[in-house]
Amino acid sequence: MAAQAHLLLSMAWHFALISLFAIGGGVSMLIPQIHQEFVLQYHWLDERSFAELLAVSQAAPGPNFLLIPLIGFRVASWAGAGVSIVAFLVFPVTITFFVGRLLHQHENEWIARFRRAFRPITGGLWIASGLVVAAATDHGVIPVAITIGVAAVSLAFDISPLWWCIAAGIAGAVLA
Amino acid sequence: MNVGLTSVGGAGGPLRYVVVKQRKWLSEREYAELFGVAQALPGATAVNYAVMISDRFAGPLGPVAALAGLIIPSLLVAIAMLGIASQLAATNARFAAAENAVTAAVAGIFLSNGIRLIAQIWRGTPDLRAAWRAARVAVSALGIVLVAGFHMFVPLAMLVLLALSMIIETRLRGVNEA
Repeated sequence: MAAQAHLLLSMAWHFALISLFAIGGGVSMLIPQIHQEFVLQYHWLDERSFAELLAVSQAAPGPNFLLIPLIGFRVASWAGAGVSIVAFLVFPVTITFFVGRLLHQHENEWIARFRRAFRPITGGLWIASGLVVAAATDHGVIPVAITIGVAAVSLAFDISPLWWCIAAGIAGAVLA
Repeated sequence: MNVGLTSVGGAGGPLRYVVVKQRKWLSEREYAELFGVAQALPGATAVNYAVMISDRFAGPLGPVAALAGLIIPSLLVAIAMLGIASQLAATNARFAAAENAVTAAVAGIFLSNGIRLIAQIWRGTPDLRAAWRAARVAVSALGIVLVAGFHMFVPLAMLVLLALSMIIETRLRGVNEA
């Protein structure tokens, strides 16, 4: 019981901290950090679970942020899912609520500049996320080929990523 | 606010459809501006966005209802999918390979999202001198090296990159005004 409470608390702390840095590109930018802490440092998840959660969070309907409660659920069941949602959302939602009201009264100029400054960071961190996920989970020629292939075709055809996930799943099953 | 269930791989598309087309709460332009703010603030973009919209159009309990509507149904579906997926992956080698392939595809999607954004940064401002555009792309490249190459603590890497990027944008403003 005490161990469970301790686990929930430390997970909550990590998610609350991470949430403050999910700026400009949502949860996917932070995947290297989540992987570092949850898999490599604290061993709350193994590589296999991490890969599975990532796949399900992308393939499931709903915002990509669902990765967070899915991780919580895998680590500590329903309590984990609840705690991770609250921990990840409490600061951002509070900040957004007040900033939203403030901006409604007078539109602010610095937001535009801040956003411009953030775009290259987001782009770089998305690529870093792709590389970290590929390095952690692509074992063998087929997954590496799928990663490169999906990157290439989804650059050429800008359609919902779900289709690439489905196509890759079928290809993976057939080639196995 | 039951956008959650209909949105796959990020809620941006369906959210826009409901808010702009169906309910006509916002114009296309207002939508884009508010979405930008939601992205610039910490947290999940779709969640931030739902909070701001619902605070404006649905009264004091709006944000709570919007969050519940956005998160709970889709989370239950995702948890059910997760249960089925891990069951199948444990017993069926073919399914395990398929699941692995989906993760590989997710990595590919991240790569292409990043490449597309960087290409936009490069091509989006053809009037700007190449050196400035190269400086922006260099920030991206440094981010890749720090995070994927050196496994730097991501918040720290972001602070370093943000400082560099703000210097570039501030200098750039001076150039534009001159």
